[in-house]
Amino acid sequence: MNFLSKFNWIRHGLLTIGIMIVGTVIVAALTAPIISPYSPYDLDVTMMLQAPSADHWLGTDELGRDVLSRTIFASQISIQVALVAVSVGVIGGTIIGVLAAYFGGVTDLILMRLMELLFSFPAILLAIVLMASLGTSILNAMIAIGIIFIPGFARLARATTVEAMQQQYIEAARSVGMSHSRILIIEIMPNVITPLLVEAAVAFAYAVLLESALSFLGLGAQPPEPSWGNMLNTGRGFMAQAPWLSIMPGMALFFCVLGFNLLGDGLRDMLDPHLRD
Amino acid sequence: MLRLIFTRLALFVPTLLAASIILFIAINVVPGSAARSALGVDATPQAIMRFEALNGLDRPLIVQYSDWFIKAMQGDFGKSFQNRVAVGPEILKRLPVTLELALLAFLIANVIALPLGAIAAFRHRKILDVIITTFATILGAVPNFWLATLFVLLFALIWPILPAGGFTPFLSDPKANLIQMILPALSLGLVSSSLLLRIMRTTMLEVLNSAYIKTAHAKGASERVVLIRHALRNALIPFFTVGAVEFGFLFGGVVVIEDIFRLPGIGSLVLVGIINRDYPVLLGSALVITIVVLAANMIVDTIAMILDPRQIHAGER
Repeated sequence: MNFLSKFNWIRHGLLTIGIMIVGTVIVAALTAPIISPYSPYDLDVTMMLQAPSADHWLGTDELGRDVLSRTIFASQISIQVALVAVSVGVIGGTIIGVLAAYFGGVTDLILMRLMELLFSFPAILLAIVLMASLGTSILNAMIAIGIIFIPGFARLARATTVEAMQQQYIEAARSVGMSHSRILIIEIMPNVITPLLVEAAVAFAYAVLLESALSFLGLGAQPPEPSWGNMLNTGRGFMAQAPWLSIMPGMALFFCVLGFNLLGDGLRDMLDPHLRD
Repeated sequence: MLRLIFTRLALFVPTLLAASIILFIAINVVPGSAARSALGVDATPQAIMRFEALNGLDRPLIVQYSDWFIKAMQGDFGKSFQNRVAVGPEILKRLPVTLELALLAFLIANVIALPLGAIAAFRHRKILDVIITTFATILGAVPNFWLATLFVLLFALIWPILPAGGFTPFLSDPKANLIQMILPALSLGLVSSSLLLRIMRTTMLEVLNSAYIKTAHAKGASERVVLIRHALRNALIPFFTVGAVEFGFLFGGVVVIEDIFRLPGIGSLVLVGIINRDYPVLLGSALVITIVVLAANMIVDTIAMILDPRQIHAGER
């Protein structure tokens, strides 16, 4: 609490706005069954493609489902996908990057060349190709997006580990006979975690975007599961009659991505002010 | 210097080889998935065996890969599982559409990013800088497929001034082609300009803080001369080097945009490949996209080495 009261929220404006937006999205995802006025799955053929009104604030879709409720529930999918995908990326990338830097030589060369190569693929293309084999589902979207994140985190973890390895305390740990695993976990990992956290916030935004793009193409969340991407995809077919279907889920997606971007930028500014410009 | 440039060019071959292996492994990560995907979940084991024998999928993976890669390098990407049409000519027919879209989008992104990034750096921490960086932050959070959807809604349905889709080859009717390309290229280019704008601003700030700019100021050079002749010129090399990476991402982004605007490019072919579970189509089109991205990076790296030899020495270190 002391830290929170001392924290200059105005000076770190970006971070503050980012936390507020991300906080709203997370609260919406956690409380979706409570705050949603209707079930996101309940069909009502008498209420198809209704414009926004007092009963349905964001209107209804082609099956008479409440767009607001589906938009709120879709935040659950986005947060779940981002959480799992970023975790896969952070864990996989950290293990590869730290091992490459710690052991150096051929291990470093092979692992990092592989990472560079994966990094050079357009992300969405690699995700699509992976999903061709894994099959189209939300779980596979999480895995595919996670694999895409591994090279970025590996490069960051490697760079931070190389920097940490030059410190005298690592030399000291080696000279007293500390094992590789103890040096890696106790001495090196704490140095790697902070920059990874900053990168993870930005990766969250990208994961949400990628999941929506995959769902938009019909490769991620499958109907009737609500996802901002598949809601926008459905909305394309009813643009003339029901433009709200193409606007509201997109707004939610935009704010979610903006929130995570601001959070990442804000954290970077706070933890490393030299990088601000 | 020539030796290093040739080394960079020679690296393209093993990189391409490794990229093709990754794509091949990614598609075959689950053994037997090609046959099961193409025939559906109800396929009998006999039908799967027949399908695999017909398409050479019963051979060891390494044999399948080397056969596919050698043929692919000769432009033979095999035949579609669905309609037995050769994939190579189909890719060749679609490549110009995607290249045109990506180049137009890249042009739009640069036209926005270059001046705005330079102005933001020049007016560092002034109101104009804040407005431009806020604009870039907002733009960076807009999903390109949502922007494309909004453009269709606004400019094709509410105010019908531009087409919502379709494609006319540039050589048949340049005017119709460019009109059809405005919305797709804007959707991709506007979003990409956000990152390029930030890169331009950062690069320009570094240049503006360097000693030779201070010397130019001290010698009495006007602001315009300093900005355009000294700063902008030197900021462009690192900007374009990083910009090439963005071109790669942008080229990958064509899959969604081509789908929205019904453009017959490689991106939509990738989608056809995955929806129909047509692996030769998917693998061929994904490989060609990867080759274009890798080639763009290589060309820009080589040009940057020629224009700024310091990069070579940085590489040597």
